[in-house]
Amino acid sequence: MVEQTNTASGADRSQAGASSTNGFDMGTMFKRIFTRLEFRMLALALLIAVALSFASPYFLTQTNIFNILDQSVVIGLVAIGMTFVILTGGIDLSVGSVAGLTGIVLGLALQDYPIPVAIMMAVLAGAGIGLVSGILVAYFGLAAFVVTLGVMAIGRSLAYILSGQTAISGIPSSLSDIVYTTILGIPANVFFLGVMYLLAWLYLTYTKGGRTIYAIGSNKEAARAAGLSVLFYSILPYVVSGAFSAVAITFSIAQILSADPLAGNLMELDAIAAVVIGGASLYGGRGSIIGTLIGVLIMVMIRNGLNLMGVSPFWQGSAIGSIIILALLVERLVSSRTDR
Amino acid sequence: MTAPSNAAMSTARTGAARHEPAVLLEAIDVEKSFGRTRALAGATFDLREGEIHALLGANGAGKSTLSKVISGHIRADAGKLVHKGEPLHLRSTRDALSAGIAIVMQETTLAPDLSVLENIFLPELGTSGFLSRGKMRRRATAILEDLGQADVLSLDMEVAKLSAAQRQLVEIAKALALDAELIIFDEPTASLSAGEVERLFDVMARLKESGRSLIFVSHRLEEVLAITDRVTVMREGATVASGLETHSLTQAEIIRLMVGRELGAIYTEREVAPDAEGEPVVFEVRNIAAPPVVHDVSFAVRKGEILGLGGLVGAGRSETAEAIFGLRPKSGGEMWLASKKVDFRKPAQAVRAGVGFVPEDRRVQNIVPDLSVKENLLLAHLGAHRGFGLGYGARQKKVDELLKLLDLPGHRLFDASMLNFSGGMQQKIIIARWLLLEPKVLILDEPTKGVDIGTRQAIYELLQKIAGEGVAVVVISSDFEELLGLSTRIVVISDGRSIADMASSALDEEKLTLLAAPRTSMRKNTAVLSALAVDCGGAGFWALIDEDDLICLNSVVANPEAAPGFSSGEAKRFEETTIPKSLASRGQGFVTEADGSRSTLIVPIRSHRGHDFGWVGLTVPGGAEGYSAEEIRQRIESLNG
Repeated sequence: MVEQTNTASGADRSQAGASSTNGFDMGTMFKRIFTRLEFRMLALALLIAVALSFASPYFLTQTNIFNILDQSVVIGLVAIGMTFVILTGGIDLSVGSVAGLTGIVLGLALQDYPIPVAIMMAVLAGAGIGLVSGILVAYFGLAAFVVTLGVMAIGRSLAYILSGQTAISGIPSSLSDIVYTTILGIPANVFFLGVMYLLAWLYLTYTKGGRTIYAIGSNKEAARAAGLSVLFYSILPYVVSGAFSAVAITFSIAQILSADPLAGNLMELDAIAAVVIGGASLYGGRGSIIGTLIGVLIMVMIRNGLNLMGVSPFWQGSAIGSIIILALLVERLVSSRTDR
Repeated sequence: MTAPSNAAMSTARTGAARHEPAVLLEAIDVEKSFGRTRALAGATFDLREGEIHALLGANGAGKSTLSKVISGHIRADAGKLVHKGEPLHLRSTRDALSAGIAIVMQETTLAPDLSVLENIFLPELGTSGFLSRGKMRRRATAILEDLGQADVLSLDMEVAKLSAAQRQLVEIAKALALDAELIIFDEPTASLSAGEVERLFDVMARLKESGRSLIFVSHRLEEVLAITDRVTVMREGATVASGLETHSLTQAEIIRLMVGRELGAIYTEREVAPDAEGEPVVFEVRNIAAPPVVHDVSFAVRKGEILGLGGLVGAGRSETAEAIFGLRPKSGGEMWLASKKVDFRKPAQAVRAGVGFVPEDRRVQNIVPDLSVKENLLLAHLGAHRGFGLGYGARQKKVDELLKLLDLPGHRLFDASMLNFSGGMQQKIIIARWLLLEPKVLILDEPTKGVDIGTRQAIYELLQKIAGEGVAVVVISSDFEELLGLSTRIVVISDGRSIADMASSALDEEKLTLLAAPRTSMRKNTAVLSALAVDCGGAGFWALIDEDDLICLNSVVANPEAAPGFSSGEAKRFEETTIPKSLASRGQGFVTEADGSRSTLIVPIRSHRGHDFGWVGLTVPGGAEGYSAEEIRQRIESLNG
């Protein structure tokens, strides 16, 4: 038992519970699994998938599944950074406009530099903007909501200025390789998304930094008193978020081969919604990267299914909004019964 | 004229022909429990019309709880309140306000963004009807004029910009705007300067003259003696002395009531903790300052020693520990850890250097609720850990050891939340969090707060065991009995200064309470003492003197040849000092010791109402030729009142 618990050391609660089963009866274990929010959300995702497959026979075809995964890449990458930020109890409203701005940076850089260098420049620009937000929030103690709202406005305005108010075309078509090559039979962008989620999960679960991020969101004062580097790990999530915004827009540009200053508009709302549907608390400390991935899939599936059913795009907003609120309401009612 | 003789003696009483003063409010056998803690267990209290009544007690005696019952903030479990002869049922503060009862709390309840005027009439915003600004302004002006404070406070000022004293004044005006007849002042002087205290007392005297009744809750005995008419003393939630006339009491009597033990009784009960003398000093702090609360704190702790930091709530003990640990900015002071100079600007530095700290508030400062029990146990490890991964595996052996020590079954480590454990087990896990790192120094702030009696003993044993293994342990506690029982030495902190450092075997609860009491007159007395010592080339001291021993409250030595053989914060028997003869005789003039080495003049200090504030002495070398005892006496007496 000691060896088993040892392997579960860094893992979050479900892992810990599941790996020491011989200490428990099966009932306790199932209860633990079902009280985990991610599992309830996974059940919801499957339910939605089944419902949509009845509504549209095309939904469960291989092509459409790859479609859904493809559509998950951009929002999924942004949601990784958003998860980091929300876990510390912060919020990043600037992801959409940072994506727009770094997209323009990429477009301009591609005119003079090779692809890897240009991508690196865009990612560094995103990380740099995140660093500024992070310092303003964590060091100067400004409200994350307000700081990132300000950065959102600045980012969008700089995107227009740098681009000369028009989309930058003439992106080298070889950039699209990062989307259209396949690795082990999986499209490169989907493969990359999977790898990023795996790395993010490992980081948040098995490293000092990851656990510090949870501790900060759960109880900043206790984290500080235990000697954790609260300042550093409060800034880091904004840097990660900025960098992932740039990576996300890179994949988007690779598909359409054009960098639009308006790109990423309202992306922050989708990302926040995905994280929250995935079970994270906006107060911080609670949530997981797996949950976020499920949240992203739920969002994309609903949008995809509504498209397949021919629902007008004007109605889709209402549908998605209602489903988000409904999911959270059900979740709140269920969890208030099982947690106490 | 049936006035009682003692009332006739009191010059402060107004009204020529007084009958037995009417009782405004009575609290009878009030009881209140919070969970398992009994805060009030038979509290009884009566307040007369037009008096200032002190409510006294040690930390946790229940005086604040009783005040809150009277002001409707807390509903009592049992007992009753009688107001003007009628039973009074308070369901809320609003009920209390409409009965004319208001409370002025230390933490004010003002709306910081509103103006003084709006705050004064804030309670009326809750009632229906229109408000006339002009009328409000006229009434507010009248109230402030009655208090003699119209010049101090502008009605249009924003409350956020006011000083603590001004805010208090707004609270008082707010109470008066509601025609309060009974005003409770809960520790009103804690954050005021000496001048502001004078002003507050002037306001309180005016309120009393206008026929209002005041309850004054305070630790500060000097102030209680200076302003109140009667005193009620509480201990462990019950009233132990009800309505004693203030002028008939001395400081020592009041302390004896607060502590509730006869002198010396404690010595026989207590097992003295083992002496660590001879062991090396592991950790020393000198002159730590962290404004606004901590001014000058010094102490040293030896290997294997448990050092107690004693004092009243608000004396700056927690703030001192936080400043040491890097949780609070310091403005001065030096620290040595294992003879190496250190300065922790953030907790991570302290943790890595081998200092552990268990802050006072478990829920707010210690527990991370969303992490599992195991991760909570390993949190300080994570703080000390250098490296990218978790490094939990390297601690596994120590974790297993600690589980055995704590009596915690291994599988409970994976409990999702620490909040399901009892307070005692939570505390043990938090302490274990630091033991995991095998620290050199462990500082614990109120380690048994909210812990049941059974687990308390286990925590004491744990601390003794840690000390036995060579850790230097520093314990902060407001429970003097606990402090005396647990620690080898005690450093007393009062008003942000360490004022005494004594072996706990030389102390009892009474002496500790006496030393811990904040002294409004400290600064003034120190100035006079240094001036005297320097001018006369001798040594000055301020002490409380008993039959054959003394407690030195302050001393200034300008000439080592005149040193009286005791220093600030020490308790000594006369024969242990260098001036036993003078201390025993306390004559009118200088008394020269038998060996002719020193001569001492000792003068009693009295407040303007005749209360004993101890003695001030001046020791000079030799036979005191050429000194005018009369002139010096006059200088000392300038301290009176």
